[in-house]
Amino acid sequence: MMLRLSGVGATWLVAAIAALLAVVAGTHHTPLSLVTLAAPTPALRVTLGLSPLAAPFLMLLALLAIPVGAWSLRRGRPVDAALIAGFTLAMLLVLIARTVVAFFFTWEAMSLISAFLVAAHHERRGVRRATFVYLVVAQTGAACVLVALVILAVWAGDPSFTAIGRAAATLPSRLREAVFVLALLGFGSKAGLLPLHFWLPRAHPVAPANASALLSGAMLKVALYGLLLVTLELAAPGPTAWGLTLILIGTISAVGGVLYAVVDHDLKRLLAYHSVENVGIIVIGAGVALLARSQGNAALAALALTAALFHTINHGLFKGLLFLGAGTVADTEGTVDLERLGGLWGHLVWTAPLFLIGCAAITALPPFNGFVSEWMTFQSLIGGLASGGGAAIRLVLLGSIAGLALTGGLAAACFVKVFGVVFLGRPRRAREAPACRERFDAPALALALLAAACTMFGVAPLLVVSPLDRIAAAAIGAAPLPLPSLPMLPLTLVALPLAGAAIAAALAARRGVRSVPTWTCGSPVTPSAQYTATAFSKPLRTIFAFVLLPERQRLVETGASPWFPVRIRYRTESRYVIDEAARRFAAVTLRLTRRARALQSGSLRLYLAYAVATMILVVVVAR
Amino acid sequence: MLAVVQMLIIVALAPLVQGAMKRLRARLQGRPGPSIIQPYRDLAKLWGKEAALPEGTSIITICAPGLSLGVALTFAAALPFAGPTAISIVDIVALAFLLGLGRFVLALAALDTRSAFAGMASSREMTFASLVEPALLVALLGGAALGHGTSFAALRMAPFGLAGTLAFGAFFLVLLAETARIPVDNQETHYELTMIHEGLVLEYASWQLAMLQLATYIRQLSFLLLSTLLLPGGFSVWLAPFWVISIAGAITLVETMFAKLRLFEVPQLLTTAFLLAVTSIGLRLFGAMV
Repeated sequence: MMLRLSGVGATWLVAAIAALLAVVAGTHHTPLSLVTLAAPTPALRVTLGLSPLAAPFLMLLALLAIPVGAWSLRRGRPVDAALIAGFTLAMLLVLIARTVVAFFFTWEAMSLISAFLVAAHHERRGVRRATFVYLVVAQTGAACVLVALVILAVWAGDPSFTAIGRAAATLPSRLREAVFVLALLGFGSKAGLLPLHFWLPRAHPVAPANASALLSGAMLKVALYGLLLVTLELAAPGPTAWGLTLILIGTISAVGGVLYAVVDHDLKRLLAYHSVENVGIIVIGAGVALLARSQGNAALAALALTAALFHTINHGLFKGLLFLGAGTVADTEGTVDLERLGGLWGHLVWTAPLFLIGCAAITALPPFNGFVSEWMTFQSLIGGLASGGGAAIRLVLLGSIAGLALTGGLAAACFVKVFGVVFLGRPRRAREAPACRERFDAPALALALLAAACTMFGVAPLLVVSPLDRIAAAAIGAAPLPLPSLPMLPLTLVALPLAGAAIAAALAARRGVRSVPTWTCGSPVTPSAQYTATAFSKPLRTIFAFVLLPERQRLVETGASPWFPVRIRYRTESRYVIDEAARRFAAVTLRLTRRARALQSGSLRLYLAYAVATMILVVVVAR
Repeated sequence: MLAVVQMLIIVALAPLVQGAMKRLRARLQGRPGPSIIQPYRDLAKLWGKEAALPEGTSIITICAPGLSLGVALTFAAALPFAGPTAISIVDIVALAFLLGLGRFVLALAALDTRSAFAGMASSREMTFASLVEPALLVALLGGAALGHGTSFAALRMAPFGLAGTLAFGAFFLVLLAETARIPVDNQETHYELTMIHEGLVLEYASWQLAMLQLATYIRQLSFLLLSTLLLPGGFSVWLAPFWVISIAGAITLVETMFAKLRLFEVPQLLTTAFLLAVTSIGLRLFGAMV
């Protein structure tokens, strides 16, 4: 109990500090130095400081860590609560690191603590494997990040970010390109961008729910902060190609992430795929910002950056809400398999409606926060399309608009499936004890806080957009394009629908609604007649079979008569293009190495012959 | 105020348009068909009946008809025929999200009824909606003059021409899907397995069904009016009725001449719509450059 309480207390303390730093960073328009630690050589100097760009990320960390702490008061293991405090602190330090060494060490601390959280249930083999994959990706990514930062520091002759930013204008274009590619690999793999996302749907579902909420809601964002830091400050200004690359990768991640989510029926893995999708949407915004900046359209760039930053905060909030809600479901039901859940609306009386708000927010339904930031991303894409540029630029922007629209539709399909299957209808399996009604406790309060933030930021978007506008203006150097309709839009859209819903409810209460059995063509009404998650996603699985590569097995057990099967087993699974590619690569490598084994006969004379042959070859070539 | 007048006119005429299309379709098929004011009679009859819903359905199912009607009314009020009003800050992107809200709640209500038919319809509706959405947005962008903003108050149409024709063609296919018409869906089917839109509302009866049907009619007329924006003289209040009658006639003709597509052939139709829209916008953008 002590461990849990001190862990939660420490998390809240870090959150409070993050909020304070966010306010200070957001109100200063220039980077601010806080602490500098002495070091034997200047290259190893550690400076902590604040930059305006870090402010939204710090604010997100604060907004997310408080409810995650509250959730951990009642649910999850005590040791996780303590680890989460350390994880939050590490992320805070990454965001305020202002030298290469400080950034790298805090980045590594963040990766390692999160690996402990992923490995929480290490007694299971799958969890150990997921942790291993995560560590490999994290360390490879960290190496890329380190090389990129060292290149920049060596060029600037000083490891502090402020000095690197000042020297960035003179950076030769070769180095600039190399830094961009390395940063994209390092930060992009950590953020879960396709095709380097594969660790994410493995690691997030096995971590405890409170850790998943922070991993997905905050850590991916810290990686995006790194990407923005390099492209907007440390190696700025970039060429047009950077923006285009980001828009392309963002669109592919958005569409790919949501496609895999739609066909998945593990609630937590599905949410992890939605993180890929939403990171994609954020990166589209960032890409438009870079593109518009390189074209000299600073106002549009600032608008796009505001959209990206707003979606960053929003995704943290609703994904935190959904992961914590999934954690409550896992705790009370013992599973997150959509095929085994159903009808939770009846007894999870707090979690269910709050989870619905999360679903509506992530689907970008008005009046919630996801709607506003996705709408702003669309506006910046359309602004880019209208403002000109070459054929390639316009094609990419158009493709991105279409991709984003498709993503929105698929996300809606996915969350209708999730909410309809898990919370509505009737339970899909008999329960041993009658379910007891959920009480309003700390975990429910955590969900309520996040849902309230999702609603507030949607109904009154200026609360966040005005400060973000200032930050974007400081980062880009021009005020964003005005969006005059923004303050009133969400309420204008939902006023009549909400009034209609209220009237329908009032009418139903006054006139009464008779309860009747569901129409099933006269056959008995059973829970197993309900549509399942696999059935729900069947049309999409068929239409997008060329990407999803579904594999299906149908076993029909017949009894006495072939016309009346006793039992039908149906199993379907998507193979992942990236896994297939990796498997092919591994197979080819193994085949080649097996061939190469013929060279290794074990005979000493043969080895001497190899050596002589090599020497002759070297001499011939070198001559 | 003008927006309210516009909304009320659309609400008043929406069942008439439905009745006229049904009548025309019957005549084209050689049947006498119901009277064109039959939808009003149906709505009045349904409104007086007692509501019935499956046991244990949640508040979502109870609120869905009213919410759906509210979405349709907002759509009708936001159209730009009454000039710039308070509600015409709504733009084409926000409109797509708003329609998404109505669809989301209706699809959830369908799953809430525990009926396999409704679940099937819910799945199909969401599948096709996700494919329609890109085509819808790109078609509207293809018809609009970019650079003015996308809100209905600021929207300006580009000069009609080949690009405009293609954009309208794309939107016409979208229209067939959004108004649940053959070849995508069949409003007159009585066979649960083939229903999409009808399947979603299968468990509703009485005044709740009346609300949903009125919402469907309003949405249909609003979509018809929206499509007239893509035609020459699009914003004119006086030309709009002429265009609506022509497009509704064309839809009825398509319904008579074609059979319903197989479920998995519908994506091809929607992809065609999308490609037409992309071609249109491509002509617009690159025509200026070449």
